[in-house]
Amino acid sequence: MSLLARLFHREDLHSLAAPYALDALEPAERVRFEKHLKSCDACAAEVRALSEDAVRLAWSTAAPPPVAMRDRVLAAVRATPQEPGLVREHTPQLPPHVWGTQPPPARSRAPRERRPFFVPFATATAAAALVVASLFAVQANRTQDKLDAAQTQSREIAHVLAAPDARASTGKDTRGRSIGVVASASEGQAVVTLSGYGGLSSGRVHQLWLMRPNVQPRSLGLFKGGDTPLVATDLNKSATSLAVTVEPDGGSPQPTSQPIVQLALKSVGFGE
Amino acid sequence: MEADELLVLVAGGDQKAFEKLYGLVSGPVFGLVRRVVRDPAQSEEVSQEVLLELWRSAGRFDPGRGSALSWILTLAHRRAVDRVRSARAAGERDQREARRAHHTAFDQVTEEVEAGLEREWVRRCLDRLTALQRQSVTLAYYDGYTYREVAERLSLPLGTVKTRMRDGLTQLRKCLGGVA
Repeated sequence: MSLLARLFHREDLHSLAAPYALDALEPAERVRFEKHLKSCDACAAEVRALSEDAVRLAWSTAAPPPVAMRDRVLAAVRATPQEPGLVREHTPQLPPHVWGTQPPPARSRAPRERRPFFVPFATATAAAALVVASLFAVQANRTQDKLDAAQTQSREIAHVLAAPDARASTGKDTRGRSIGVVASASEGQAVVTLSGYGGLSSGRVHQLWLMRPNVQPRSLGLFKGGDTPLVATDLNKSATSLAVTVEPDGGSPQPTSQPIVQLALKSVGFGE
Repeated sequence: MEADELLVLVAGGDQKAFEKLYGLVSGPVFGLVRRVVRDPAQSEEVSQEVLLELWRSAGRFDPGRGSALSWILTLAHRRAVDRVRSARAAGERDQREARRAHHTAFDQVTEEVEAGLEREWVRRCLDRLTALQRQSVTLAYYDGYTYREVAERLSLPLGTVKTRMRDGLTQLRKCLGGVA
């Protein structure tokens, strides 16, 4: 019997219950076993019992976390919306595609308006938390080949969040579209997300720029589309704002159009 | 208030309840993650991710399927194992092994401080397992190895490792059953 055939064999799947409870399956096996669990009540009961056993092993490991972790987690919690629960009737305040439950909405047909008026908020609010929310949406959606990329990104975002001076800010336009940022001036890093800007026509991208006084805008990279946050590094402390423009595929060396959104960085510790 | 009640309040968006829940579970979460991940900075990062995920997805907790603490620690363990495996895949293994000596000393200091009843019971019950049961279970749970890697390290057939894991867990249940 080939390896694959054996993996699919029912008997063999049963024997994976203990390794599953110990998180000792490889990702592909884990997925296969979880699929099997859905159709096997007896296995589900057994896995539950074995998982409870495995958790007993964690009893002996408790240790006091670093004191500063508390403030960071609580700050992140204040800035992070929750996902809808199992039974609670709760309408997500964010577009469904941000949660990873639906594909991004089709490109809005509305004609381009005059440059929208943006109101930056000094404190972390729901839109700033898009950064965190979309990270988890990415994780929930990840396929095997995206696993590494998602983990790398999750690490980069966690790194920014973990900085002692990490701050969140958000800008919203009159049409409810928003830009969210979590930035650390000491690390010179920021995680930026867009929400509500939808898809662009093919051959166009959203490009992020760093604005400084008396200096030409510097490109911080291209948004990959959908809900994927952009991790920007090497930010100058003198930066005053972030701006997003629509550019031809591949991006431009300098902005070729008016920013569709701008966000001041003063409230997140920049602009000295 | 117990973690179970708090988690239900947290699912409803109660930030005060989350602060209390943090007080109850941050130690178990951080300790477990550090036991698996070892590196202190990375352990802190993973713990933060787990605690934030707890806030976000508290609504997914189903009280009918087990205790809140089990659910939380299962989540923490999964994330810790993911991290340690991707770190290994990234070739950091050697570095990590080199750090291990240092952290073992650190662990012992913590253990002396916290030498609690539960810790003692788990240790005693692990001691009662056969060597192969114990190694199969601990290499997987505490060190984040897959059962295939465990089989390789112990030079055992895959089937044997799977059986030892199951027997080991069942023996632990019998031994620890009374202290839940």
